[in-house]
Amino acid sequence: MRAGGQKWEWHIEPRYWRNPLIYVGILVVAPVLIYFIYPPLLPTIIEANLLAAIAIPLALMTISTGRMNFGPQFYIGIGGYTAALLSIHFHLSPGLTMLAAAVGGLVFGFIMSPMAIISGGLYYSLLTLLFPLLFLEATYIFTDLFKGDTGLSGVAPLVSTGYFSLNLLIYAFISLTIMLVYLFAMDKIFRSRYAIQMAAINDDEEVANSIGVNVNKVKILGFTIAATLVAVVGWFYAHYYQAFSGQIFLPLSFMLKIFMVTMLGGRTQIYGCVIGGYFIAFLEMILIRLTGDMSPVLFPIILLILLLVLPEGLFGLYRKRRYREYMPTLRFRR
Amino acid sequence: MLGALETTLIYTCLLGSLYLLVSLGFSLICGVLRIFHLGYAYIFTATVYLTWMFMTLFGTPPYSTTVLVIAIICMLAVQAGIAVAIYKGLIVRYLQHEEIIILGLLFVAIIVEQAALRFYPIQTGVYLETTVIRGVSQLGQVTVSNQLIFAAILGIVITGLFVLFFLKTKLGLAVRAISYDIHSSRLMGIQVQRVFMFVMVLTLIPVILATLAIAPIWAVDPYMGWGYMSIAILVSVLGGLGNIKGTIMASYIIGFVHSVVGFVFNQPVYMGLAALVVVLVMLIVRPQGIAKSETVW
Repeated sequence: MRAGGQKWEWHIEPRYWRNPLIYVGILVVAPVLIYFIYPPLLPTIIEANLLAAIAIPLALMTISTGRMNFGPQFYIGIGGYTAALLSIHFHLSPGLTMLAAAVGGLVFGFIMSPMAIISGGLYYSLLTLLFPLLFLEATYIFTDLFKGDTGLSGVAPLVSTGYFSLNLLIYAFISLTIMLVYLFAMDKIFRSRYAIQMAAINDDEEVANSIGVNVNKVKILGFTIAATLVAVVGWFYAHYYQAFSGQIFLPLSFMLKIFMVTMLGGRTQIYGCVIGGYFIAFLEMILIRLTGDMSPVLFPIILLILLLVLPEGLFGLYRKRRYREYMPTLRFRR
Repeated sequence: MLGALETTLIYTCLLGSLYLLVSLGFSLICGVLRIFHLGYAYIFTATVYLTWMFMTLFGTPPYSTTVLVIAIICMLAVQAGIAVAIYKGLIVRYLQHEEIIILGLLFVAIIVEQAALRFYPIQTGVYLETTVIRGVSQLGQVTVSNQLIFAAILGIVITGLFVLFFLKTKLGLAVRAISYDIHSSRLMGIQVQRVFMFVMVLTLIPVILATLAIAPIWAVDPYMGWGYMSIAILVSVLGGLGNIKGTIMASYIIGFVHSVVGFVFNQPVYMGLAALVVVLVMLIVRPQGIAKSETVW
């Protein structure tokens, strides 16, 4: 490229940053357009960003441990309840509750990370499946603290401009920022040498150990970081809805939504998680508007059909047509 | 002290036998097909609501015994069809992709639950008059429903029949062989796919009988399956996934835990949590369970 008689050379070739920039641009511009054209769509955009923001660290957890965690919603519960309790009882600002939620996710993630080392295969899946159910039981038992089914209400909002649509727009940008930060961080991790170690653990743990990979360290780090990031999403839910109830976030139905985001996104493909998140959120919204009270029946039916017809997800369709490696592909193995 | 011991013993036997009936199918699928049937909850909900659907289709209240029997037969046929469809449409195709099977089975359970909720909400008042023995009995200081005693005895009888089937029949031998080593079983000429399909249908029997037996005395709603599935998971994991011996022992252990917490300490709200904690500890200390796991016997 020439400009002012001088030859200009890109340090990084455009083909590596052009498409990501276009897609991020679309994600940034879309909420603004929707705000002016049809503001009721903004909650759907927020939900899509949050689903993607949960699925992206889950991809890290899955790849780093080589196992599928069936209870990511446990850390949403940790983050959400921590933020809600501190906001309601101690009137802490959202910034401080975010810090507390992250610390809560870090602590619980670290305490539970040995599961990824001790248990394998089905037992790991069972343990991770049981923890959110245990948490849900605890919210019913300790009703004074967690308020059972009703949940905690009266959490301070993140944003309060006095205009509902403007609040939603700002929430949309905050959720988008969280998702993009997670995406950028995971992209960096998956382009680093840690990704090669994770790939080695995925393929064969014993061989990886024998060639000097610190398997336990990689698993614990991946698990703990992912748990912390998911807990922050729980924090956002608490301040966004100004309430938090385990009845909504801890049961298997919410876990299924997160997993469909992961599966539709191409199974631990982090860019696919964004596609999966938007697809699931908009599908649910469209079904509710078109079919009303039949949507809870039709939604899982459609997701089941998609799961069977597209085992590689929507992102898999794209990869079949345009197979290019922008980064090392890590394959998740059972 | 003696009263507490009596209460514990009686409820351990009753609840343990009931949990055995509930968990037998789940354990069998884990042991033979080696999959984690997270959609097991749908069987309970489908039993109740399909029976109710056929009852309202073929008769008017008050429903006669003939209508009930016809409804149950139709329900059995539909349930068998669903089980075969799940096996052929999902399990056979994705046997190498465990996450797809687990998610697919969960979706099936949620679809059945939401369909039941949509077409027969709780205010419909679904009630199955499948009481076999009415009234209550006094066992020492404990007053127990006769239907509950019947369900417990049924659990023991059905388990005994299952054990006899696996030990004394050729087909049972084939099922055990597959649970030990699937490849050697194929070499010996066992039609593995057909046996798998048979097991999928066989596992419906104890669950359907358990649901029909306890429907008149315990709560019936579209979400009922999850509670029973949780118990089935806990019992199967504690006993050793897929092992019937372990399932028998574990169901009485869980029954003991529930009876002590619920009836001796009078804290029924902690029953679920207590059982969960026991199983969690077992998963950490001895992940393979009480008995050798992943073999049927």
